[in-house]
Amino acid sequence: MKKAVSSKIKKVSSLKYDQQLAESPFEWWGPSPDEARRVMSAKSKGMHDKRTNLKDAVAKYVKDGINIGIGGFVNTRVPVAAVHEVIRHGARDLTLSFQSNSICAELLAGAMVLDPDRVSIKRVELAWWGYEVIGIAPLLRHLTSKGMIQLDDYTNYGMSARFKAAAMGIPFVPTRDHGGSDMELVNRGKMVSCPFSGKNVYLVPACHPDVALVHVTAADMYGNCRIFGAHCTCPEITMAAAHSIVTTEQIISNENIRTYPNLTEIPYAAVDALIEQPYGAYPGSSYGFHWFDMDHIKMFRCLCDEFRKTGKKDGLKKYYDEYIFGCETYDDFLEKISFKTLRKLRDLDGGQPIILS
Amino acid sequence: MPEYTPFEMIAFTGSRVLEDEKIVFVGTGLPIIASMHAQLTHAPNLSMIFESGPLSPILEMGMPLSVGDTRACRKACYLKGLSAVFELTQRGYSDYAFIGGAQIDMYGNVCSTFEGGTYNTPQTRFPGSGGAGAMAANCEKSIIIMALEKRRFTEKVEFLTSIGFGDGSADYREKAGVMGAGPYRVITNQALFGFDAKTRRMVLLEVLPGKTAQDIQDLVSFELLVAKDLKEMAEPTAEDLRLLREVCDPEGYFLNRKVK
Repeated sequence: MKKAVSSKIKKVSSLKYDQQLAESPFEWWGPSPDEARRVMSAKSKGMHDKRTNLKDAVAKYVKDGINIGIGGFVNTRVPVAAVHEVIRHGARDLTLSFQSNSICAELLAGAMVLDPDRVSIKRVELAWWGYEVIGIAPLLRHLTSKGMIQLDDYTNYGMSARFKAAAMGIPFVPTRDHGGSDMELVNRGKMVSCPFSGKNVYLVPACHPDVALVHVTAADMYGNCRIFGAHCTCPEITMAAAHSIVTTEQIISNENIRTYPNLTEIPYAAVDALIEQPYGAYPGSSYGFHWFDMDHIKMFRCLCDEFRKTGKKDGLKKYYDEYIFGCETYDDFLEKISFKTLRKLRDLDGGQPIILS
Repeated sequence: MPEYTPFEMIAFTGSRVLEDEKIVFVGTGLPIIASMHAQLTHAPNLSMIFESGPLSPILEMGMPLSVGDTRACRKACYLKGLSAVFELTQRGYSDYAFIGGAQIDMYGNVCSTFEGGTYNTPQTRFPGSGGAGAMAANCEKSIIIMALEKRRFTEKVEFLTSIGFGDGSADYREKAGVMGAGPYRVITNQALFGFDAKTRRMVLLEVLPGKTAQDIQDLVSFELLVAKDLKEMAEPTAEDLRLLREVCDPEGYFLNRKVK
């Protein structure tokens, strides 16, 4: 694809402009819009009980080579329970897509460091990968400096707009960012002239994950989901994906959903597998239920950083053996986190108001 | 004058730069603290946007530790997701982008993607644009916090993550398809910078009392313009410091960090 690089971006930074990359043909990193449409058209739209367990859901939908869309934002409402199961199940040559993430991306990266035959990440389309106040993501740094993963950089709006375009059933969306930055040179978007105004506008391609992993506040058994607190990009990612695995803090009645239909952020037809998993975002936070566990995230990050600095995997391996491979289910993992800790996190949420009944 | 730390000076200066009756799109850390301080002092009708989704929250549970922190949603007036808040910036609802970065050039272009090596095999990969690239593009004015070091105030950034004035040409931003007017202030603990309307180059506006323009130039790799009426930076009063330390960041997550 020839890019109309219409800003003078090449002269501004010291980035080496890769002509080959710029002219390489465009490729969807997951289902194309047509493929995603066909998957959706072929699905049964009946309202059925979607409740299952994570083991069965992941075994059914997660395969080698797929694009996994990760919901939440940094440490908020991140689908950690589902990611644990993906690691236990194993999946290679993955493409990951998200706006900003911390623990989910690092957990998958750590699994790759420990056993690339079980889990491996081929490439990531993203805006941001780190822990904010807690620090940089050591495994992102490790994998990129060794050239082990390919990245495709957008802004947080760019990635959100890409999921939104996919959820809208359109192949791209015009945005007012990326242009004039080096993202214009390295990512798969394209600067064009607006057919109406003639002015430059930057198009980003739709992003349809094969499978979305999303954690929500509440859902009925059919998968009608409520999200309180920041929505992040969860409705868009779920509706963009060919299939979705949704964990929820709590199952609520369909009658309640029907009483307040305006509160439904994800409709049942967009959900393939639904798992009631309290604390499913732990050690991330879940608005109305619990705050994030900074100590646990710090502890895991420390082990990742130790590996990055020394090459020693012992600490990291111990974490996975204890908390992921040593657990049959996510409840087994939560049992290893003390009640006092979970209770403290619940108190730190401060009873953020949510509507469940 | 009471003693203060470099981070307290940055937060205080950030607060001074923000006007009342505006909407500021904040990044994690010092931008949140600066905005909280502004609300408590001269800008009671200043609202914050956080990129995870909330507009105009009341931060009564304490400072959010990140822009995704559930506390940032507390008593917000409008709470959706990333798409909605960034669309507010495209439409013109956000007056300030308040961001940070690893490198900046004389035209206010910022790098927060990588340092050293190449894009595909970077020596030091940073988290990436996150919201910063979108904020710098579409909030009306960008305020950028940087550490005042030669390697950070650089001739050329290694990767242009957040757009400034590009190569300095008058139509760079228009050709880039972005909506905001561009860089407005660069804040460090020893100097406050603006941008020259004609050349779009960085201008030294204020220096820490006791410092000279040359002291600041020595810490910058490119040639600075210096304002004709170069001023001294205002310093935080005891009451400002009390607000910063006891109300804004009582745990000292951002104000008590060690300067590298």
